[in-house]
Amino acid sequence: MTNHRPIGMKLLFSIPLLTLVLLGNTLFAQDGKALFQSNCASCHNPFKVITGPALQGVTQRVPDKQLLHDWIHNNQKVLASGNPYFTSLFNQFSKTPMNVFPNLTDKDIDAILTYVETAKPPTSTPGDGTPNPQTPESDNTLLYGILTLILAVIMLILLQVNSSLKKLADDKDGIPAAEPIPFWRNKVYITFIVLILFVLGGFWVVEGAIGLGRQQGYQPVQPIFYSHKVHAGINQISCLYCHSNAMDSKHATVPPLNVCMNCHAAINDYSHGPKLYREDGTEVDGTAEIQKLYSYTGYDPKTSRYDPANAKPVEWIKIHNLPDHVFFSHAQHTKAGKVQCQTCHGPIQEMNEVKQFAPLSMGWCINCHRTTKVNFPDSAGNNGNKFYNIYERFHKDLKTGKMDSVTVENIGGTECQKCHY
Amino acid sequence: MTAIVTGCSDIQREPGKVYMPDMGYSRAYETYAMTEEQKAELLKKGIHFSNTPVPGTIKRDELLPFLIGKDGAGDSANYVASKAVKNPLSSMDTVEAERLYLVNCGICHGPKLDGNGPLYRGGDGPFPAKPATLVGDAKYEAMPEGQMFYSATYGKNKMGSYASQLNTKQRWMVIAYIKSKQAAGKSSPAAAATTDSTAAKK
Ligand code: HEC
Ligand code: HEC
Ligand code: HEC
Ligand code: HEC
Ligand code: HEC
Ligand code: HEC
Ligand code: HEC
Repeated sequence: MTNHRPIGMKLLFSIPLLTLVLLGNTLFAQDGKALFQSNCASCHNPFKVITGPALQGVTQRVPDKQLLHDWIHNNQKVLASGNPYFTSLFNQFSKTPMNVFPNLTDKDIDAILTYVETAKPPTSTPGDGTPNPQTPESDNTLLYGILTLILAVIMLILLQVNSSLKKLADDKDGIPAAEPIPFWRNKVYITFIVLILFVLGGFWVVEGAIGLGRQQGYQPVQPIFYSHKVHAGINQISCLYCHSNAMDSKHATVPPLNVCMNCHAAINDYSHGPKLYREDGTEVDGTAEIQKLYSYTGYDPKTSRYDPANAKPVEWIKIHNLPDHVFFSHAQHTKAGKVQCQTCHGPIQEMNEVKQFAPLSMGWCINCHRTTKVNFPDSAGNNGNKFYNIYERFHKDLKTGKMDSVTVENIGGTECQKCHY
Repeated sequence: MTAIVTGCSDIQREPGKVYMPDMGYSRAYETYAMTEEQKAELLKKGIHFSNTPVPGTIKRDELLPFLIGKDGAGDSANYVASKAVKNPLSSMDTVEAERLYLVNCGICHGPKLDGNGPLYRGGDGPFPAKPATLVGDAKYEAMPEGQMFYSATYGKNKMGSYASQLNTKQRWMVIAYIKSKQAAGKSSPAAAATTDSTAAKK
């Protein structure tokens, strides 16, 4: 019995000791991480070449610990001494200078190196996502068509049976049957069919004519599978980061490739988001699509250099297109009107491939202009858009209560010449 | 059968027909929507994409250009020289400056300017390089505005150039916004409030 006590005591003592050691360890690692993030992470990643080399494995590449410390303290001195390994590394990174860190102690550097060597790649959860979100929906019209056809045939057969039965009954009663009129000469049938054809045909022609030049739902295959869901949705990039002109000009414009490269000079693979699928259900390799971006810009991710001779423009396919006789300006709507992009373009941040959401018909524009209020001063203390100070009568009417709000139509948003040149 | 199925599926890959193509599609140049002839014409002149303005011209309402050029590889003379450049704006619309910062920089440098935006997320995000901690790091608090402007104009290592997204005036506004946040982080909140309100007065 007594024999057990010392063991118990030892155990009891060792628990705090163990936790201390463990804690100390994590503290140490945490420290290394913090030091790494504040000093080195802008140029180094443990696993990826960014401005500087990927650091994991550096203690094997540079086994001489003193040399490594010297390099991190003051790389200029090491370069000046003509060390062949570092000189060739320096040239390989286009002579990009690394900062000097005279203030880091040897312990700090050891902490950083331990962190770098033990760090694990962020558990990228590619997530299976929804396995196949867009199986082409089987359209029901075909089914309905077949059903109608079958019903029509049954009706015809029944009619035929009915008339034969009637004939039989008449024969039995001895009434001389009138010469039966075949149905293609029966006037009732003929007028009926002509009427139906006329109505259907008229409907289709009008529908088709209105639809000519309209392309709601248009969703072309773009040269690069660029997903708005990944960028504007999952990674929360603002629409205006790329479509920066939407606030100041007629066109929102598609961004030039240098804007893509602001991020993709560093992000060279697709590893953080869910699996991507085209509308027809085939899977997309995001990393390969980013490589396509590099081939368009003439960028070589190995040397981080551009070769203008290999660059060529991406021919994005324009989706939204108003006819030439219509004037539409984004700035008027986004800046002055404060209309959200999604009101007109739909839930772009959920689309992998952009699809035209609105019909862009004249009725669509006019309906919105009739119902949307403009930014006039109101009783809530909102000063409104100063430009509208010129509409003196509306201000008076608002004050006297004759009008409760001013719509775009009131300020002339439905006059032909505002939209038609 | 496949023809019927693809015909009935609701993915629309073709734009459809128009009455009169020359009215539907502009004959005048429109941004990135070109007819085949227009494309051939531009390529003959060696123009791939959008045209840059005539050299030496300045847009209305635009500031004078930044005269310091971009450093060559392995050189940092201009980067150092840029320290002396002063912000030409005497007042600005702080609300607009904040909007510009959040749209263009916040995604990496963080809405709180702590160098930890949604793309970096303390190293777990998809962007592998740590963006500068603009507020709370002595190095960047001491950095002169001219040098920040240089980096925003030409880029710095893995940060790209913002000259195509923000014009000269907008870039200065963003830098002034960063500087005002740094000042607010250091001094007492009361002082920060006064600088803010004077700036907002315009
Ligand atoms: C300004 C960017 C920058 C910063 C900050 C930076 N480095 Fe570097 N580092 C580089 C570059 C670039 C190289 C490649 C050699 C060269 O061009 O000078 C390099 C090379 C190295 C190497 C040699 C790698 C190899 O594969 O042999 C080590 C080790 C290193 N850096 C450690 C660090 C540490 C530790 C820190 C933080 C205390 C740090 N660096 C901060 C840019 C940087
Ligand atoms: C990272 C850059 C980026 C961001 C952020 C972005 N877009 Fe785009 N956008 C593009 C590119 C590139 C295209 C052209 C390729 C395409 O159509 O998919 C495009 C195309 C479009 C189009 C179709 C243009 C046409 O041809 O008619 C619309 C509409 C659009 N974007 C709206 C938005 C909206 C709304 C948001 C914010 C929710 C947004 N974009 C965010 C880059 C971006
Ligand atoms: C009032 C409706 C409306 C709003 C709000 C709107 N758009 Fe548009 N957008 C359109 C129309 C209409 C077109 C077609 C323009 C044309 O063909 O001239 C278009 C075209 C585009 C295009 C194709 C390129 C171009 O400029 O012609 C892009 C990209 C785009 N919009 C992005 C955006 C973004 C980003 C926002 C939000 C900041 C936005 N739009 C807000 C109606 C709108
Ligand atoms: C603000 C940063 C940013 C900009 C600008 C940007 N991207 Fe991305 N891109 C990302 C991020 C983040 C990912 C996701 C990486 C991951 O999950 O590992 C990504 C992923 C991708 C992918 C792979 C997934 C997919 O959508 O198929 C492609 C392709 C891509 N980007 C193309 C582009 C193009 C083309 C542009 C320019 C119009 C662009 N990117 C601009 C940040 C950006
Ligand atoms: C979602 C609502 C909405 C839609 C859809 C819409 N607009 Fe507008 N539009 C507005 C608002 C709001 C204003 C007023 C902006 C302001 O405050 O001056 C406006 C203003 C205008 C003006 C300026 C009117 C003036 O009096 O100066 C024109 C031109 C215009 N829109 C054209 C169009 C065209 C063309 C379309 C269709 C392609 C369209 N709009 C679709 C909301 C819309
Ligand atoms: C708010 C903007 C707006 C106003 C105001 C407006 N239109 Fe239109 N109009 C459009 C748009 C957008 C189209 C293109 C519709 C399309 O492509 O289907 C159009 C098309 C047309 C067409 C061609 C037929 C068609 O539907 O394509 C005619 C004709 C026309 N408008 C006449 C008028 C007349 C007359 C007025 C004045 C009573 C007027 N419009 C006012 C936006 C406007
Ligand atoms: C795609 C991510 C990203 C975006 C967006 C971004 N930055 Fe940076 N920024 C970085 C990175 C990474 C660094 C660190 C570069 C280095 O020191 O190697 C940095 C560094 C800086 C620096 C310090 C530069 C120096 O000389 O050391 C400034 C100033 C800066 N950014 C300002 C901005 C401004 C202003 C914007 C918006 C217009 C912006 N950044 C947008 C990633 C970004």
